[in-house]
Amino acid sequence: MKFISLIFTALISTATFAQGKPVLTVYTYDAFAADWGPAPGIEKAFEETCNCDLVFVAADSSIGALRKIQLEGPQTSADLIVGLDTNIAEAARATGLFAEHGADTSKVTLPTGDWSDKTFLPFDYSYFAFVYNKENVATPPTSFEELIALPADFKIVIQDPRSSTPGLGLLLWIQQAYGDKANDIWKGLQPHIVTVTKGWSDAYGLFLKDEADMVLSYTTSPAYHSIAESDDRFASAAFSEGHYLQIEVAGILQSSKNQQLARDFLQFMLSDTVQDIIPTTNWVYPATSTEAGLPEGFQSLHLPEKTLLIDGVEVEKQRKSWIDQWVDTLGQ
Amino acid sequence: MQLKGNRQSLLPGFVVSCALFAMATGLLLLLFSQQGNNSINLGSRYHRILAWTALQATLSTMISVVIGIVLGWALSHRQRFPGRAVFIALLSSALVLPTLVVALGLVTVLGRSGWINDALQLAGFDPFKPFIYGLPGILIAHAYFNASFAARTVLNRLQSIPSSQLKLASSLGLTPLQRFRLLEFPALTTALPALCTTIFLLCFTSFAIVLVLGGSPKYNTLEVSIYEAIKLDFDLGRAIGLSLLQLGVCALLVLATNRSASVLSIGAPARLTTGLHYSKTEIANQYLVIVTFGIFFLMPLVAIVSDGVTGDLFKVLLQPVFVKALITSIAIATASTIIVLFASILICSSITTLAVRQGAEASLLSRLMLRFINFSATLYLVIPSLVLGLGFFLLARQTGGSYLLWSVVSLLAANTLLVLPFALTSLSPAMIKAANRYDRLALSLSITGLARWRLIESTLVRPELAYVASLAFCMSLGDLGVIALFGSQDFVTLPWLLYQKMGSYRTAEAAGVALVTLALTLFVFLTLPRIGTAPRET
Repeated sequence: MKFISLIFTALISTATFAQGKPVLTVYTYDAFAADWGPAPGIEKAFEETCNCDLVFVAADSSIGALRKIQLEGPQTSADLIVGLDTNIAEAARATGLFAEHGADTSKVTLPTGDWSDKTFLPFDYSYFAFVYNKENVATPPTSFEELIALPADFKIVIQDPRSSTPGLGLLLWIQQAYGDKANDIWKGLQPHIVTVTKGWSDAYGLFLKDEADMVLSYTTSPAYHSIAESDDRFASAAFSEGHYLQIEVAGILQSSKNQQLARDFLQFMLSDTVQDIIPTTNWVYPATSTEAGLPEGFQSLHLPEKTLLIDGVEVEKQRKSWIDQWVDTLGQ
Repeated sequence: MQLKGNRQSLLPGFVVSCALFAMATGLLLLLFSQQGNNSINLGSRYHRILAWTALQATLSTMISVVIGIVLGWALSHRQRFPGRAVFIALLSSALVLPTLVVALGLVTVLGRSGWINDALQLAGFDPFKPFIYGLPGILIAHAYFNASFAARTVLNRLQSIPSSQLKLASSLGLTPLQRFRLLEFPALTTALPALCTTIFLLCFTSFAIVLVLGGSPKYNTLEVSIYEAIKLDFDLGRAIGLSLLQLGVCALLVLATNRSASVLSIGAPARLTTGLHYSKTEIANQYLVIVTFGIFFLMPLVAIVSDGVTGDLFKVLLQPVFVKALITSIAIATASTIIVLFASILICSSITTLAVRQGAEASLLSRLMLRFINFSATLYLVIPSLVLGLGFFLLARQTGGSYLLWSVVSLLAANTLLVLPFALTSLSPAMIKAANRYDRLALSLSITGLARWRLIESTLVRPELAYVASLAFCMSLGDLGVIALFGSQDFVTLPWLLYQKMGSYRTAEAAGVALVTLALTLFVFLTLPRIGTAPRET
């Protein structure tokens, strides 16, 4: 048995070793690493100068990538993780597995202002929103309360706050907007939820398959359809409670043997090259204003008037109890 | 005296059983002794999860057994119609069909914008409300797999009713209901407890179906909760706590029901004509049952084929990740098959020796040994793959070493445990038969050990061996269990790839992967046994 598995190991792992070049392994979520995601473009651009082999490893969700690293412990092959957000960053920091990024963040232009976190580096942002197809939904709800009041056959698909940053974002969105009444909103949402998916792409796939009327995504998602598919049927529903901001971050693992290379990569994530790749592959706003600026089609997107965001430290204090309550409410 | 030549065959099987048992207990001790970042706990919702798991398993079992009885009954009375053999082969195949492939097929047919709803809308009716995600979906999928298994078992039992009894029933003028009550149901009663327990345990520990069709935490089974505790919350303490809970419940069930696995044989039954006369309504009812469930069992597969072919099949086939998954899956399945064949042959030899001895001089020791060996083969029902996977996982963390290596080892171990119960069910009766026929002759000619195996068993039980091989290959190919924990970009199997693609942006690709998995499974499952039974060239 051992012999057979050794052959397997040899067989399977040959692919991960390049010819003598250092291999920089980045764990991320599936949509980021997908053929149509930002990873292929970033990989091509970075490999032109780094004299390394940049490998993206896709987990089925963003928090899933973090859990994978925790599971693998010090043996993890990951040098970096890309795709956490400020809501889960404190939980990641608490694992003690991450090193400082050492990058220059002076170019960062986020709605929240300057960046001070020395462990996690921001690379893009957007606002959570429900996306719908204008042909199927003539008058979208304009608030959670309106959504709840719709007939039960109006279905939404959301992500799991335990595995997916959009899922966690929705939890925090409702939490900040409704406070003590958040649980009532969830009780009202429950009959509308078709399913809770592990990651964003599962949910979005179901939505595109018409299994739901609305999907939890981003205010910037319709840009994908209008730019990449010349399809103007999709829009995001503007909610009067405001929209929760997501800032996606990346971090370096302490166990990485390629610290300098990893730092170079993170700095590269803020370069115009990568920042110009982000909008039309990850379909969100870049974290810096590049020379080229935003692509055509982003200007017409709905920009929330009110931005919600709970401080990361506060989130981490409450996350477990909020999630427990969420599971309880949905598990009834 | 008769036993002298047999004794040596007792040891290897006993050793294999001990090894399996040692592996299981070792992993369990590891779970118990784990001093993680957090202490072992059950979480706040365990009673709800347990109650729900038991409820859905009970419902699934009831539905599956009822469908199984009705369908098995109809098939036993309709001995000749076009496609009968294919339909029965399909029912047997359900055991090895990859769960995710069927789940995807069910969504394609029954989903909100699935075929049924399309047809309804085309005909001007209101479409169904979405129901496939949640309890109905789980029950339907469980029924798909277990009702076919049940139908196959029921058919087997019904076909073993002597035709003289059927003729008697006919000449007595019994109504169909009386006939069922007096003749057919009693024939089933020996198999029903084992059938119900097996199905209940399979549904109780169901993973892949609940994972993809469960929808919300509301429908989490214990198995999925363990998975979530590991993968979502990284709460190893809770994962271990829930694992131990699940283990306790399953062990109690397995021990409480003194199941004799042989009644669950789904091997090819003898054909017979019932010699009964049926009224027109009776025939109509029987066909109605067959056609209804025929459609139920066929539709998801047809959906996979049609979606797979119309999707980007060619693009999928050329993706490096797909090629990698295909090669890994075939390699794992082949290795698992070899291990299963060896393990089941050795275990069956011991069972045979003990079973033959039971007739001669049933000592307490040999009876206990038979119990022990049988129990070691049904470990999977007690220790589901995720618990096993978690054990290997902790081992991997503690010992260091290559993560990938442990992934392969745990996958092979899980596959072996998964297939063994089914392997023994079909292999041991055949080997006992062979022993009964040739033991004395072999003994008088002093043919023992490998020579005996080559001359007697290898020829006599070849069809069963081929069947076990096909079973092992297909079940290993399609299982999404341990791989859900260990799967990564470096270690991809077809079910894992399918899970990744399912419901995501790339549903067309999922259908492509599903189609290839389905085609490979059916091809191997339907052709390998034929190769086994083909006459040996001389």
